[in-house]
Amino acid sequence: MAGDVAVMNASGPTTGIGSTRGAVGDQILEVVSATHRYGEVTALDNVSISARRGEFLTLLGESGSGKTTLLRIVAGLERPTAINRITIDGVDATLLPANKRNTTTVFQHYALFPHMSVGENIEYGLKVRGMPKQERRKRAEKVLELVRLPGLYDRRVHQLSGGQKQRIALARALVTEPTILLLDEPLGALDEKLRIDMQVELKELHERLGLTFIYVTHSQEEALTMSDRILLMRHGRVVQEGPPTDLFERPAARFVAEFMNVENLLDGTIESMRDGEATVRIGSHLLRGPWTGRGTAERGAKACVAVRAERIQLGSAPAQDASSINHVPCRPGVTIYKGKYVDQMLGTEIGPVKARVWDRSMEVSSASAFWWRVGDCAVTPIAAD
Amino acid sequence: MTVLAEQTKYIGAAPRQLTLAQRIAERWPAWGSIFIGYFVLLIIYFPILWLMILSVSSEPLTGFAGDWTLRWYDDMLYGTGQREGEAYAVNSRVFDPLLLSLKLAFITAALCMVASLLIGPILPRVRFRGPLLLGYLMPLMVPGIVASVSLFLFYRLGLHWKMGEWSLGLAHFVWAFPFALLAMLVVSSRFDTRLLEAAADLGASPWRRFWDIQVPILKPGIFAAGFFGFLLSFNELPFSIFMRAGDITLPIYLWIQSGAHNSSVPLIFALSTLITIASIVLTFIAIKVAFGEKTVTVKKIRTA
Repeated sequence: MAGDVAVMNASGPTTGIGSTRGAVGDQILEVVSATHRYGEVTALDNVSISARRGEFLTLLGESGSGKTTLLRIVAGLERPTAINRITIDGVDATLLPANKRNTTTVFQHYALFPHMSVGENIEYGLKVRGMPKQERRKRAEKVLELVRLPGLYDRRVHQLSGGQKQRIALARALVTEPTILLLDEPLGALDEKLRIDMQVELKELHERLGLTFIYVTHSQEEALTMSDRILLMRHGRVVQEGPPTDLFERPAARFVAEFMNVENLLDGTIESMRDGEATVRIGSHLLRGPWTGRGTAERGAKACVAVRAERIQLGSAPAQDASSINHVPCRPGVTIYKGKYVDQMLGTEIGPVKARVWDRSMEVSSASAFWWRVGDCAVTPIAAD
Repeated sequence: MTVLAEQTKYIGAAPRQLTLAQRIAERWPAWGSIFIGYFVLLIIYFPILWLMILSVSSEPLTGFAGDWTLRWYDDMLYGTGQREGEAYAVNSRVFDPLLLSLKLAFITAALCMVASLLIGPILPRVRFRGPLLLGYLMPLMVPGIVASVSLFLFYRLGLHWKMGEWSLGLAHFVWAFPFALLAMLVVSSRFDTRLLEAAADLGASPWRRFWDIQVPILKPGIFAAGFFGFLLSFNELPFSIFMRAGDITLPIYLWIQSGAHNSSVPLIFALSTLITIASIVLTFIAIKVAFGEKTVTVKKIRTA
């Protein structure tokens, strides 16, 4: 796949798409205080977001977190219950309907027009803008090459595979040269292999076109792979926002750590705080780690020590200095063979713990203790916000 | 017994078969279905076939076929008593009702197409769709006579309006619209409204979305609605009886003639035969036009 992308990069067609009118890095989107309710349900609760020109911004969250609602509000497909302002490329778009906004969406279900050919689908956005036929055709052919499906111009939509439909939907959205490209779980309906290929391709496309992407997904892996910045949403609010490393390494809440697939979430209470390092009491054990929540925490507040399975070391006694590690005795439990590695379940006084062992020569079943470096975990508050 | 012995027992056994009596007992519902199926077809089509045969017989009123002739077709087209060397003129007693019926049928078809195109796509998505749908389809369940009497009483005695071609058209629309709407709903209930969102997202105004997306995708439903409107209006009798002033539609003409005791009764055989054949041809054309692409359309909608 990586080879394919390189080829595309070297010999791909040049296109006018993504020509930036303003300076890269200035504000291209601003949504201020958007609230949306479906009857009794609050889908979006007073959320404000902004995006820089050329940014790859991901709205991450479970279904029902409000991420798609937010995207639809940006597109103009949903009129929010209450909103202060939406500005797109310096223009107040708060009251503009979808067809008057220069944003286009790639839908999860593709939404290709079944009665039109591939070419007609791609050209539709240009047609409603009154572009002459030859020019439309030229641009459609160009964008087809961009999504690496040249020669499909005359194909009927029902003759396409899922992956091809996805690319045509992408081409149709790109050809109108939108200010912002909105992607609503675009890879959700594809199988895993294709999804991973498309992730790389989308990332490539984003870098090449310099276009602003707003990407909605429920997959933390997709978000980490592609984004410049991630907004993690839950119950209609933004829980944490920042670059992928921030969310991955410094979860601001237990929920974030859980969503980012941290295997071991050990709940206890704050014993003390010093220089950004928290000490957490779980039973008779005191565990230390950097505090990654907002502000600071009171003694006695509920907190969670989040530590990834691969950061845990197994053995009888740690070789390191005891002051830089958290050390807990354990009884080995089930060993789960995963191919590349082995997951060793451990019974401990602080609850069940999973350790990931990459070294196949290691005798995991004889371990009597485990430990991890203080800096390798995160201490988060337990409440979501 | 060991597993091996168990297996050997079955291998050694003779293949078991049902007796003939058992097979018949098992199959008789299927034979019953086939028999009843053909019998119902016979009930439907034999009288029509018989009528067609008699229409080319010289003495249709006797009920016996034979002595083949096209005389009744000739009489129908050019009128009786005009055949002895006189100049042939089109029989206006038949052709005037035919023209009126065609006119009404086209108007009803047009009304059905427009109304079902506007109502059909909305109906599956509104809050009280169940009761509303029932309301639209109610005329299907009310006996035609009851519905037509009430229409007549309301407009003639209630509003004191004079009956005429307008009231015939109105009555035909009331009668045909439920069928037209049903035909439209078959297509429109599967319509993926997200396509309209996608079009809006690409910059299409509400008007363009309607013409570029909605109308082409609903085309089979629109044609089907028009076809039902045409055929139901063309063949309609009970409403027409009440809602006409002095107008005579083709079904009214047939009805009057079949109750009359005069020499033109045999014309009915010829006329009915022609109408039947025309209806069949029209049906085939309509199916071809409306649903010619059907398999493709359905597939496209599913995979979209």
